[in-house]
Amino acid sequence: MRQLLRAVIFGILGYLVGALLTWLVRGGSLSDEVCVVFGYVVGLIGWLFGIGMGDTWIREWFGLPARESEVSGWKRYLGFSTDHKVIGVQYLATFIVVMLLGGIAALILRFELAQAGEGILNADRYNQVMSMHGILMVAVAVAAILGSFGNYLVPIMIGADDMAFPRLNAVTFWLIPPVAIGLLAAPTLGSFDSGWTAYPPLSVVNNGGQILFVLAVTTFGLSSILGGLNVITTVVTMRAPGMTWGRLPIFVWAAFAASMISLLTTQFFAASLVLIAMDRVAGTVFFNGAAGGDPLLYQHLFWFYSHPAVYVMVLPGFGVVLETITHMSRKPLFAYKAVVVSLLTIAGLSVIVWAHHMFTSGMAEYLHGPFMFATEMISVPTGVIFLSAVATLWRGKLWMKTPLFFAMTWVFQFLMGGVTGIFLADVVTDVSLHDSYFVVAHFHYTIMGGMIFAFLTGIFFWFPKITGRMINDRLGIIFALWLTIGFQLTFLPQFWLGTNGMNRRIADYPEQLEGANLFSTVAAFCLGASFLLLVYILLTGARRGPKAGNNPWNASTLEWHVSSPPPEHNFSGQPTVVGHPYRYGTAGSRHAEFAGMTAVEQIPPEQTGTGEGGDYE
Amino acid sequence: MEQQRRKDWILFGSLWAVFSTVGFYLVLGIDLLPSQWAHEAEVVDDAYILLMGLSIPIFAGIAAVLLTSLIRFRVKVDGIPTEDGPPVQTNRNFVRLWVAATLSLALMITVNPGFIGIAELRGEPSADIVVEVQSQRWSWKVNYENGAETFNQLYLPANKRVRFDITSLDLVHSFWIPAFRVKIDAVPGRVTHLYVTPDRVGSFEDDFNLRVQCAEICGLGHAQMAMPVSVLAPTDFDAWVSDLAEGA
Repeated sequence: MRQLLRAVIFGILGYLVGALLTWLVRGGSLSDEVCVVFGYVVGLIGWLFGIGMGDTWIREWFGLPARESEVSGWKRYLGFSTDHKVIGVQYLATFIVVMLLGGIAALILRFELAQAGEGILNADRYNQVMSMHGILMVAVAVAAILGSFGNYLVPIMIGADDMAFPRLNAVTFWLIPPVAIGLLAAPTLGSFDSGWTAYPPLSVVNNGGQILFVLAVTTFGLSSILGGLNVITTVVTMRAPGMTWGRLPIFVWAAFAASMISLLTTQFFAASLVLIAMDRVAGTVFFNGAAGGDPLLYQHLFWFYSHPAVYVMVLPGFGVVLETITHMSRKPLFAYKAVVVSLLTIAGLSVIVWAHHMFTSGMAEYLHGPFMFATEMISVPTGVIFLSAVATLWRGKLWMKTPLFFAMTWVFQFLMGGVTGIFLADVVTDVSLHDSYFVVAHFHYTIMGGMIFAFLTGIFFWFPKITGRMINDRLGIIFALWLTIGFQLTFLPQFWLGTNGMNRRIADYPEQLEGANLFSTVAAFCLGASFLLLVYILLTGARRGPKAGNNPWNASTLEWHVSSPPPEHNFSGQPTVVGHPYRYGTAGSRHAEFAGMTAVEQIPPEQTGTGEGGDYE
Repeated sequence: MEQQRRKDWILFGSLWAVFSTVGFYLVLGIDLLPSQWAHEAEVVDDAYILLMGLSIPIFAGIAAVLLTSLIRFRVKVDGIPTEDGPPVQTNRNFVRLWVAATLSLALMITVNPGFIGIAELRGEPSADIVVEVQSQRWSWKVNYENGAETFNQLYLPANKRVRFDITSLDLVHSFWIPAFRVKIDAVPGRVTHLYVTPDRVGSFEDDFNLRVQCAEICGLGHAQMAMPVSVLAPTDFDAWVSDLAEGA
């Protein structure tokens, strides 16, 4: 708490120092964008210094001993903790809140779109709320799984006591609050209205809130890069004895592949945003067509990151879902090696498909064919993921608890997203469908269906591990059904709207399209309401759920062989990995040995809770 | 055991057949696409329907596996599960077959409707008339060959191949005519081109998709940045355009 307060104060002081110095040097007004830029940068440094970098790194640079935080209990979650599990939970809580905020924004948009003509929002306000919804949800999609489960589980799953760079990990998380503050403060400078894509020239000439968007999203990119670096280094260097690459749990592989993309491509987005900031405050003309710049330059740079970013979002989702399916259908993960190759192939291909977002942008036509071809090729490794999911289910012993139920709906949703993606990868149909509601429906199926549903699968699957308690399974399944049905009813009509002449990012539309829009809005509110049930399930589960024991799913991977929640540093000794993680059905197979580990006792099966009985009955 | 296995496949096969039939009926039997007003719309819609036709059995197949699994393979667990499924780790030949099938399918659609469709949609770079379109927040200005000019209205002759030369004075806009199924961005500092052959006489009053709609977000008036399109018989168009040029 003390750290947090100090960070806020240093952040504000830093902002004032930066802004005032700039103002002293150049005059003008304190709310000029250039003052905001320097204020933000110094404020960010002040924030990081205050939150804990000053106590650790910076003291050590000057030969002083580091002051480690000594708080315990729930207060750890509000400070600079280097424990990967604390950081995982910090990410989890933060991004559930951001997801709900973005969801509220979505409902405001759908309310406006219920009828043609102007309703509660004017066009300007609509564009601002739409842009806010977009960027908040993109942030959730990029960081929610990788930040929470990536941090919480990767070290345990590979038998390590923490991430490779625990302090860097803490900084990675504590870069997020300035992002949220920057975005939410944008209305003070007139907000931003250029969508999450921020195409220039609009993003160069619009209100001053855009500069806060640029600064905040660049900061978020920095956090992504550092997080990716940490996951990669951890997987490469921290694996337990015997944890060969061929024995890595599939979620670790997925997090590894996604982190590769984060580490290697996020810079391009940051660079393109910095160019926008330069155009806005330094008088450059990178994107000014009249002065010799080129708006298409931005689109190339932007999509060079932002298409791979889709795979930063969904690859960890693949990992979560495959992990859940193999454990809960009690069968080995089908074609493990082929899945690993596919994950890496997707990561590789993801950087050569970006221009399929630009078939109607006016770029040279000879580029259309190659990018279409590369994009179609991604369906091959993605097909292997689907094969693995359904072939693992086939003849398994399906234990239809909430996590498996969610994992199976995920297969359905992401399939829908993948199949409709073909229409957008194909140049001919894309020329018609690009920037229409077909695209909106498609990416909600891939991102909400592919990532949020996987996030929810993961929340339900690892909830017992993180909290030590079980959720009410009956309510969990009701939630899964409710959400899935609400989702179809909301987004299926939007495919039709797209083919029938409704373009995206509009506050108003031809009145002939009113029926389907009203239908979609009603369904969206039904979908939104289901999240109240989610919050109820999670809160009551965490407070009053029956005790979970170490291994309520009787699963094989390492995280299920420590207590729930795991102790500090995870293992009391060094586990040794002796076999593949998913050898279900093979008598006598073992994943790991825990010789000499005493602190964590295996709880006999009869003492483990399963969600039945307990406080709910 | 053998009989149980056969039942799994029978259920899967019937579900697949039912889902595919329902899918084909819903997507192809019901008219999901708006009316076509140009040759290009036919090319695009044909590609759309071909892709739909290929997608439905794939989609139905996966959905059938999911439902079959849910019905046939769920088990009741008392306490924690102890019984495992069969220890099948992989089936190399099946994986090879699957990859070969998806790869050939991907290559097939890359060729058709991919490359073949692109060639068909683009056609030869020649046009009967050229129309210049200038976009500016949040309106369109149209110039015809003989000096005639319209503001927020577009007139075209039927059955003539039209080339649009599109420019923007300020932001990126996008020139989209839903009834023709084509669009291209208007980019400051560039001239972008679009070829279209309207093949029916009609106007915005007949179909609200006979309109030019800006499809790239451009601020306050983005949703309203639209203009009605009227397709006239060639003789009517010639008369209209020369009247307008004289009037100007």
